Amino acid sequence: MAFSDILTFQPRLKVLSSDQAWAIHNAALEILDRIGFKMEHGYAHRMLLDAGCRSAGDYWLKMPSYLVEDALKSAPRQIILYDQLGRKAMSLTNGNSFYGTGSDTTFTLDLETGERRRCVLQDTANFARLVDGLDNLSFVMSMGNPEDVPVTEDIYVYAFAEMIRNANKPIVFIADSGRDIVKIHRIASAVAGGEAALAEKPFLLNYSEAISPLRFPDYVVEKLIFCARKKIPICLPSGSNCGGGAPVTLAGAMAMGIAENLVGLVVHQLSGRGSPFLFGPNVSTLDMKSTVVSYGCPEWSLTQAALADMRDEIYGLPIWSFAGASDSKVMDAQAGAEAMFSIVTSMLCRANLIHDVGYLEYGSTSSLEMVTMANELVAMSRFFVNGIPVNEETLALDAIERVAKGEAGSMFLMDDHTFEHFMQAQFLPVLLDRTRYDAWLSSGARDLYKRCNAEAKRILAEHHVEPKPDDVLKEVAAVLG
Amino acid sequence: MNEYESLTQAVIKGDIQLAVSETRKYVDAGADVQSILDKGLIAAMDTVGENFSTGRIFVPQMLRSAKTMQECMNIIKPLFQEGDVTTKGTVVIGTVKGDLHDIGKNLVSMMLEGAGFAITDLGVDVPPDKFVQKAQEVGADVVGMSALLSITMPGMPATIEALTASGLKEKVKVIVGGAPVTEKYANEIDADGYAPDAATAVVEVKKLLGIS
Repeated sequence: MAFSDILTFQPRLKVLSSDQAWAIHNAALEILDRIGFKMEHGYAHRMLLDAGCRSAGDYWLKMPSYLVEDALKSAPRQIILYDQLGRKAMSLTNGNSFYGTGSDTTFTLDLETGERRRCVLQDTANFARLVDGLDNLSFVMSMGNPEDVPVTEDIYVYAFAEMIRNANKPIVFIADSGRDIVKIHRIASAVAGGEAALAEKPFLLNYSEAISPLRFPDYVVEKLIFCARKKIPICLPSGSNCGGGAPVTLAGAMAMGIAENLVGLVVHQLSGRGSPFLFGPNVSTLDMKSTVVSYGCPEWSLTQAALADMRDEIYGLPIWSFAGASDSKVMDAQAGAEAMFSIVTSMLCRANLIHDVGYLEYGSTSSLEMVTMANELVAMSRFFVNGIPVNEETLALDAIERVAKGEAGSMFLMDDHTFEHFMQAQFLPVLLDRTRYDAWLSSGARDLYKRCNAEAKRILAEHHVEPKPDDVLKEVAAVLG
Repeated sequence: MNEYESLTQAVIKGDIQLAVSETRKYVDAGADVQSILDKGLIAAMDTVGENFSTGRIFVPQMLRSAKTMQECMNIIKPLFQEGDVTTKGTVVIGTVKGDLHDIGKNLVSMMLEGAGFAITDLGVDVPPDKFVQKAQEVGADVVGMSALLSITMPGMPATIEALTASGLKEKVKVIVGGAPVTEKYANEIDADGYAPDAATAVVEVKKLLGIS
């Protein structure tokens, strides 16, 4: 066998056996068939009854497992997101991992003062522009819950408009209900060049949440049906966190969260057969002292790795997950440790669309510095996951011979092989500091937070985002009114 | 040594069976029900609250103690004359209109109840007039509002306006909380108090009512 024929093994994390995966899946089906779920949306309720669900009174329905099987068959196994210029950007399918920010933080760390303050629209603009300029982040979310929107009920439309103006990468967006999602869809259609063009090359994905346990309110299902009909990709994770929205044990919380997701999938596929649905619940933990939902806990990383195993074993659909976030209030060692833990494990398990990068304070505070740091941690993880190519070039026996048996003073550092390969062979950090002590000291003895601050400022000042055409910007203004 | 020490310890441990049998024992022995409540049950919950605040116990342990207290209350409640039972105050609580999230609000309810307050929980998606009507009906000392979504937060000032319009605002203390709610926001909408979590909510309500 020639060396070039050796495939590179890429390390992959597996946390469930096949038996475990099927047992959780079967428990989810049993939840739907025996306990049921509360569907408060009238149209969806009737549609589910017509499809074969059984009424259990007071909006409650019970679902036979064949409806789930049908929906799993018709949902596409790959979701392709385009950027806002119509170029293929993210193939959400087995093996591909894409990272991006999150939404709805109440506070942000001010880039100038470091102060934790309420988010404003300009923050959403800054996060969008920063992500647009970072190589290892693939999609934009609003990050903040701006307090300065002129019309509170249109908060998500304003946030969406800021992302349109400040980035060209794909957008994962939030909407409140069927009311504002229509406005967002109008803006997105203008960007894509019409509704049909948007459906064909979607650059956006909606994030909506059912309410755990097992509750599907009107305003959530409105968005689900809207996206199914318009072929806008959507995910519908619920807050099935351990001990809060769901049982405290990971298996039960996963089963319930998956059951909730399956209800969403069935409604979605009945409303728009073959429309794209990104699978996966949010199974974090409720902290038993503070009652916050943790963003730095190992449990969430474990449950999403388990979900990735279930995807491989059962569902075949691309999955939604989180990484690069922390419960720490500042970007300190805890933030770095927690961010890296979730980033590397989410990549090792091949989670597909990975959001919440840059969260601090269990998702209540966002930080441009944290996003900037996470960008480098994603690169570091990607290097690791890419594995070790083994072939004639990388085994480098010729180089070894040249240096070992060469003239006095021969060294690898001088060898052509090093010059030709070092950029691929090594991970070359930008922000993680390896300078010698004196150099570090004389350049200001800055810690990672300060270096990320400077880098975020640099990108915000220098990164050019191709502006949208005037007619698109006019439509944005018209929708905002 | 507390004369109800065995009951107090059972509530602190969350041993429902033991606490219930201890309560029956004191009742059968002819103990005064108000003193069982004050010296046995509420004293226990004060310790539980203290243990929780200082990080010695976790939420499920605190809630088990609250549940234990409720079971004991079920025994002694019928023994009070109508209107005889003294509570630390009456709280009307709910998640504001448009918002269907209730975990945080439920925690606050449980903790306030454990601390000796009478709670009327209006549930979720509660419109302003329902807060007003119920506060009037039960003679509330405190109105507590929760919201998880920033888009539903305006339900808080709307309720405060309704309380003002009905003349109740001066008579009750309004406390707000929930993920997007901040102290600054609470001040802006003229709420009397704000709490970032359930344990603080109890402290804040006590403070608002001048209870040590």
